[in-house]
Amino acid sequence: MDLMHHHSTFLLPTIPEDQRPSLTYALVVLNHNLPRFSPLLWKHAQLRLCADGGANRVYDEMPLLFPQEDASDVRRRFKPDIIKGDMDSIRKEVLDFYTCLGTNIVDKAHDQDTTDLHKCVTCIRDFAPASDKSNLCILVAGALGGRFDHEMGNVNVMCRFSSLRIILLSDDNLIHLLPKTHRHEIHIQPSVQGPHCGLIPIGMPSKSSTTTGLRWDLNNTETKFGGLVSTSNIVEGEKVTVQSDSDLLWTISLKKLA
Amino acid sequence: MWRRADFVIPFILKTPFPIASPRLLVKRTLTTMDTMHHSSTFLLPTVPENQRPSLTYALVVLNHNLPRFTPLLWKHAQLRLCADGGANRVYDEIPLLFPQEDASVVRRRYKPDIIKGDLDSIRPEVHDFYTHLGTRIVDKTHDQDSTDLHKCIACIRDFAPVSDKSNLCILVAGALGGRFDHEMGNVNVICHFSSLRVILLSDDNLIHLLPRTHRHEIHIQASIEGPHCGLIPIGTPSKSSTTTGLRWDLNNTEMEFGGLVSTSNMVKGETVTVQSDCNLLWTISLKKLW
Repeated sequence: MDLMHHHSTFLLPTIPEDQRPSLTYALVVLNHNLPRFSPLLWKHAQLRLCADGGANRVYDEMPLLFPQEDASDVRRRFKPDIIKGDMDSIRKEVLDFYTCLGTNIVDKAHDQDTTDLHKCVTCIRDFAPASDKSNLCILVAGALGGRFDHEMGNVNVMCRFSSLRIILLSDDNLIHLLPKTHRHEIHIQPSVQGPHCGLIPIGMPSKSSTTTGLRWDLNNTETKFGGLVSTSNIVEGEKVTVQSDSDLLWTISLKKLA
Repeated sequence: MWRRADFVIPFILKTPFPIASPRLLVKRTLTTMDTMHHSSTFLLPTVPENQRPSLTYALVVLNHNLPRFTPLLWKHAQLRLCADGGANRVYDEIPLLFPQEDASVVRRRYKPDIIKGDLDSIRPEVHDFYTHLGTRIVDKTHDQDSTDLHKCIACIRDFAPVSDKSNLCILVAGALGGRFDHEMGNVNVICHFSSLRVILLSDDNLIHLLPRTHRHEIHIQASIEGPHCGLIPIGTPSKSSTTTGLRWDLNNTEMEFGGLVSTSNMVKGETVTVQSDCNLLWTISLKKLW
C-alpha cells in the first residue's frame, strides 16, 4: 500500500524549501466567516475561486483583516480569479466590482444538482494539467460553522472527489479525507495546530483502523457511528500514522494565533 | 413526573455500552412500521395543549455558545444539566440575554440541577457558585471513555422512570460550532442512544436522528424553522430512502457519502415524511428570531 503524506505547511508564512510533498495550491472561498488566516492561504494559492457568496465574504471581510489599509486597495489586491456557482447569494455590487476588475464570472444557475463547492472543485480539477493532479491541493476557506447541512455537503464533496487533496478550513478546524487506498503519514505543525483531533468514519463503518502518534491510538479497532468514534483525541509528537479499511475524515484543531 | 427535590444520582460504575443491537432478520413492511412524530414546539413560547406527542423535556448545556433561545428551552425542561464547561456558559452567557437585570439574580434563577462530566473545563468560581446554590456536582474525571454529553444522557435516561422514556426528549444546547470533532462526538451520541429522542441545537440548526425502525412525520413550525434542511446517511450508506414534503423528495433513492447526500434541500408545507432502511440525521435551519 502506497504512503500518502499530509502537511499543513500552507498555514506557515513560508513553506520550507525541502517540504515534501511539493504541492500546487488552489483556494476556494465559501460563504461563511473567513478564517483569520485567509490572506496566508491566498498567498500560497496559484488559483483563487469564490463560490458564489464567498465573493461577498472576500469583499466584506478581507479589508477587516487589514484595518490600517484602505478597503478598496485591499479589495483590489485580493481579487479572485473566478467566481462560480448558482449566483443566488452574491450581491449585485460585489458582482459588478469583480467583473470590472476582470474576474471570470461563471454562472451555473441552471445546475441545482451540485453544490457551489462541487462546481468549483470540478472547475479546478478540469483546469489543472493532468500531470499536476497528484500535486494539486485544494484549500476550502469558510467550510464549517453556519448551517449543518452545508457542512455535511462540504464533507460530501471531499468524499466524492476522494482522489483529490481537498482540505476544509475554518478558524478552529482543519479537515481532510484519508482514503482507504493509502497508508497515511500526517505531519503535525504544533505551532499552528493541535492537539485536539479525531478520526471520523463518516460514510461507512470501519472494521479495522490502526494509528500511531495519538494519545488513544487505534489498534485494528472497529469504529462506526453508534459505536466508537475517535473524537477528543490528542496528538502526541509531530507525526500521526493512520491505516484503515474505510475512508476516514481526519480533523484537527487550529490554534487561535493573532 | 420527576420531583426535583428528592432525586438521587446513582453513582454506578458503568460497564461499556453494547454496540448496536442485532439487525432485524425480518424486514418490516410499510403497513407494520410504527410512525414516529416529531415537532419543534419546544421552540415556541408555549407548547400547545393538543400537541402530539406529549413530551417531558430535559436540557443539557454544552460548552459552546449558548443559543439565544436557551431561556425558552430552560423553561420547558423539567431537568437541567450542564456538561462540565456548559456551566461556564450558563454562568457567563445567560445574564447577557437579560441585560436589564442584575446578573446574580439571573444566575440564581437559572440554576442547573446537575453538573456532570470530567470537570476539566468548569472554572473554580463557577463550580463554587453552583455548589453553594445546591446544584449536584457529579465528578466523572475517571471516565475518559465517553464524552461529557454521553455521561449526561446516560444520567437522564437512568433517572427517568421506565414508563417515561418514550415521552422523554433531551434537548442539547450548544451542540454545534466550535471544534468539529466535538460536533461529530455529539452526533455520535445521538446515534448511540438511538432509542431516545435527543435533539442537538445551536442558533442556526436543529438536528435529530430518524431511526430506521420507524416511519417519520416531521411537523414543521414554519414561524421558527426552515426552509433549509437535509437528510444525512451518517455512518452507513442507505440503499433506499423515501420522503414527501421536500422540494427535492427522495423516492427509494440511494444515499451515501461519496454519492448523493440530501443537503440544501427545502421543506414545502408543514409536514415532511421520511422512511429509510438506515438511520438518517434530519437537519433543519432555525430562523434568527431571538
